[in-house]
Amino acid sequence: MKLFLRLGLILLAFCVVATALLAYVNSVTKPKIDALKIKEAEEARSSLIAGATFEALGFKAGDDSLSYFVAKDAKTGEIRGYTFTAAKTGYSSNVKTMAAIGADFKLIAIKVIEQAETPGLGANCTQSSFTDQFKGLAADQVLVDKDGGPIKALTGATITSRAIANSLQEQIALVRKDIESRQLEAQP
Amino acid sequence: MSFMKELTKGIIKENPIFVILLGMCPTLATSTSVNNAIGMGAAATFVLVCSNIIISLIKGVTPDKIRIPVYVVVIASFVSIVDMAMAAFVPDLHKSLGLFIPLIVVNCIILGRAEAFASKNNMLNSLADGIGMGLGFTLALVVVATFREILGNGTWAGIKVLPQSYNPMLMAILAPGAFITLGLLMALMNLLKERKQ
Repeated sequence: MKLFLRLGLILLAFCVVATALLAYVNSVTKPKIDALKIKEAEEARSSLIAGATFEALGFKAGDDSLSYFVAKDAKTGEIRGYTFTAAKTGYSSNVKTMAAIGADFKLIAIKVIEQAETPGLGANCTQSSFTDQFKGLAADQVLVDKDGGPIKALTGATITSRAIANSLQEQIALVRKDIESRQLEAQP
Repeated sequence: MSFMKELTKGIIKENPIFVILLGMCPTLATSTSVNNAIGMGAAATFVLVCSNIIISLIKGVTPDKIRIPVYVVVIASFVSIVDMAMAAFVPDLHKSLGLFIPLIVVNCIILGRAEAFASKNNMLNSLADGIGMGLGFTLALVVVATFREILGNGTWAGIKVLPQSYNPMLMAILAPGAFITLGLLMALMNLLKERKQ
């Protein structure tokens, strides 16, 4: 009994030291990591709709941790579109895409911001030859060719392509619903 | 004298990948490009050196019965530090290595060297062993990655080496390509060794 108590206490001592060290490193790196993430998201947003200022909007219904951004022209203040992120599980990772839609709810541009798909196959989804295909599509058109849509799926990576298309389609519908309910409310 | 010997043995004579055959999982996963290989090698070397030093220092106070949990705590702490530091200071590399950083915890080279070497030797020799094994691991990763990246993507460390008309051999980038490359390289190394004797 005494032996086990001693072993447990020694292990505890090691863990306490390790935890203290990690807490310190975390306190140093956390602000930097968060700042990088925010900066990255900002850069991605402005690469999709250039020359606009962004304002965060929360979804009125459902999960309030989700949000999207309204892009207003930096000069005139006119609404140029909306940006949001969509995510779905691809072949080997969660594929996260940032997309911009215009006031007509058609896609302006998309950018894959997070993925760890197979190099040489699914990972090609970040290339502009794939993402450019989404430009100008309305929500019901965002489908890969195997599902009857206009988007040519990546060679050997239909699952990745489909994850991107389907996540965008769902998210556009959600954002649209939210925007329209806001517009209804705004009317007298 | 023995410091140098411990330092150099890991590079070729006891290379962790080609000779001891440890750490196969990260080898297959991160040798798809030379940049990933160097990043993974550097991160694993850092963890290996740090954990070797700490483990050889605490070997006197670590009861034999709980040595493995203690090693795991030490290694996991260093991996978490590397993970956080890389995310804060080299975000691009952190992104491309992503999932494989936390997996350094279960990289058997590190636990293997802790158990087989650092827990029985003094601090200085353990440091040398860590550096040598880490360099050997990095070198082996880079060699495997060189073949895979050139054949599978037509580039080396991101620089185009084969003409645009080259049709990339996809298999080289996928996991089977790693097994085949590794097998051929090991056969070559054994052949050279036999010739020498």
